[in-house]
Amino acid sequence: MHPRLFKTPALAAALIALIGVCSQAQAHNPMCECKAIEDGQIRCTGGFSDGSGAPGVTLDVIGYDETILVPGKLGADSTLTFKRPDSEFYVLFDAGPGHIVEIDQADIEAP
Amino acid sequence: MSKKSRSKLWFLVHSWLTLPIWFFVLIVCVTGTLAVVSQEIVWLATPEARATQPSDDAPLLTYEQVLSAIHKAEPALAVQSISRPDESHFALVASVVYPDGRSPSLYISPYTGVIQGESPSFDFKAFTRALHGWWLVPFTNGYSWGWYLVSFLGLPLLGSLITGLVVYKKFWKGFFKPNLRFKHGARIFWGDFHRLCGIWSIWFIAVISITGLWFLIQAFMFDNQISISTAGNPPVVARQDVPIMPDGKPAPQISLDQAVKIAADNIPGLEASFVSLPSNAYGHIEVGGPGWYPLLFQTADINPYNGAIEGSRMIADRSGLELVTESMRPLHTGDFGGLWVKLIWFFFGLILSMMVLSGLLIWTKRTALATANALKRSEKPRRAVAVTAHSQQPEEANV
Amino acid sequence: MSKAVAAQPTSTLSRLWHKWRFHINILLLLVPLGFMPKYFADASLFRGDSGLGERDIGTVQVGPWSLQLAELRNEAPRPDGPAGYMKSFNAALCDTCIDQVKAAYLRIGKPRSLRAAGVIFFGTPYRMGATLPIPERTKADAELWITLEGWDGSMHQAAIPLSQASPATIAWLAQRGAK
Repeated sequence: MHPRLFKTPALAAALIALIGVCSQAQAHNPMCECKAIEDGQIRCTGGFSDGSGAPGVTLDVIGYDETILVPGKLGADSTLTFKRPDSEFYVLFDAGPGHIVEIDQADIEAP
Repeated sequence: MSKKSRSKLWFLVHSWLTLPIWFFVLIVCVTGTLAVVSQEIVWLATPEARATQPSDDAPLLTYEQVLSAIHKAEPALAVQSISRPDESHFALVASVVYPDGRSPSLYISPYTGVIQGESPSFDFKAFTRALHGWWLVPFTNGYSWGWYLVSFLGLPLLGSLITGLVVYKKFWKGFFKPNLRFKHGARIFWGDFHRLCGIWSIWFIAVISITGLWFLIQAFMFDNQISISTAGNPPVVARQDVPIMPDGKPAPQISLDQAVKIAADNIPGLEASFVSLPSNAYGHIEVGGPGWYPLLFQTADINPYNGAIEGSRMIADRSGLELVTESMRPLHTGDFGGLWVKLIWFFFGLILSMMVLSGLLIWTKRTALATANALKRSEKPRRAVAVTAHSQQPEEANV
Repeated sequence: MSKAVAAQPTSTLSRLWHKWRFHINILLLLVPLGFMPKYFADASLFRGDSGLGERDIGTVQVGPWSLQLAELRNEAPRPDGPAGYMKSFNAALCDTCIDQVKAAYLRIGKPRSLRAAGVIFFGTPYRMGATLPIPERTKADAELWITLEGWDGSMHQAAIPLSQASPATIAWLAQRGAK
């Protein structure tokens, strides 16, 4: 059982062979961080815990009523900048079912 | 500094590089040597891990045939992956889970699909690799400190090689005139042995120390979130691609053979040496194996519902830097060219272990000699002070 | 070189070094010996020989289905670099629901939608694992929500107190909160 998300399957196979029971340390968990920047904008940066980026991954800004306010994808630099919505919202970094990071508006740092 | 004292200094550095930790270095060398052939040792010790061709023309089963055979014998078993070791005398290895949650590996006949046995709970291969690789120190937060401890040895090893070559003047002459003197006492014999092994192991020590240092760099990079990966985002089957089944039963999936065929048809050069089944409903069937460059694996991720290739990692996809860094592990373990390469690595691993021992023997012989001299001289009290200084630095005696 | 050393033969440090330098080997050898029981306990844990996890949580009823849940390790969340602290759980689906459940998810707090149901379980229905991020501001009365998605498109949820799911995590949160 290797309930892990690896960026490189071949590397994962090698690591599992090498590390055996200790492969947990090499798991690459998805991560996402959002910060308020100037002009009421918010910038979110996605990636994986091994330090690699996540360009092209879906990042949606969703209202508390579940309407998608800003549908987006991370750019080549693994970031997405959007205007802070007027209504209550959360940010969903979505690399696929079960590979998500959710950030509530309350957890977005002020500039 | 005079030429003589400079060479003395080099010699001192060479002697002292690993001396205080000689036993640690020796055990790392010996366990590494064993780890190289651990798969072969398991093969020797475990008849179930062997593959015997029933007749000369008996064909190998395909992955789907193997899977069916497993399910026929054990209908409740969940299979996670099937791999075909790269030599035909090994049985297939299937990673499975029983309904009670036990998840051993099974040895499967590649010709009949018969389950020959279960891997023992003591996994010799994993144990020697864990002992050699990270000194059994658990991974709790990033890489274990045991990993750092062992991989750091690459530095004194490389240092020993360099200082050894500096100290051993005109070492290349040793290739043409091998010198192993048996009749001049142990000290001379082990000195000759150490030098002879050393020059023939230059390439091996360089490979092991440089790849070992790479493991140090790799751990440092991982623990500091420095990534050089160009692999892209891990593929996950999109929610809309997984059918909703009105009858509530699992959606039908393509067979393993179809997956292998799709991979082979679309990705020239991909040889399937393992197949991993999806790890959940949003997972891919992964087909992988070595390509034209034997050191690295190529993989393809195939959507189990529609057969689309949704991820692949080929030799050509790697950056130049990745080609070099991903080659480090197979180069270190000798696991890239079948049994013969492993046996060469095993042989030189033994030689390297012997060099640690012979280096130590030379050092102790010299210490013994110097101590004997010291005792002799201490009968002359006037020279006592000088003697003390000498007996403390016996390794400085001439080569 | 020899002169430098000989000039101060009485230095305490150098005397200690000369006397004990080879004992480093013994210390280094004690390391794998000391970790060996831990190594074999972990090997048995990951092979499923010693149960679903280090600490069984029990069976949780989720709509028409149920699953057994266990903490992989009976200990505080482990750090995973910038992704924060992670806690691994293992689960096994009930015999009758294996063919009906498409996916299982874990989240701290009630999910807003199926899409935001949390982290997914990997493995086989007999033994699967999920690694859940534990935000440091998680409250002591937080709940662990389990979402099961059926092949027929249905979705069922259940919650258990985090204090029941992982007392070690609650203790860890309290300790961090105190700082």
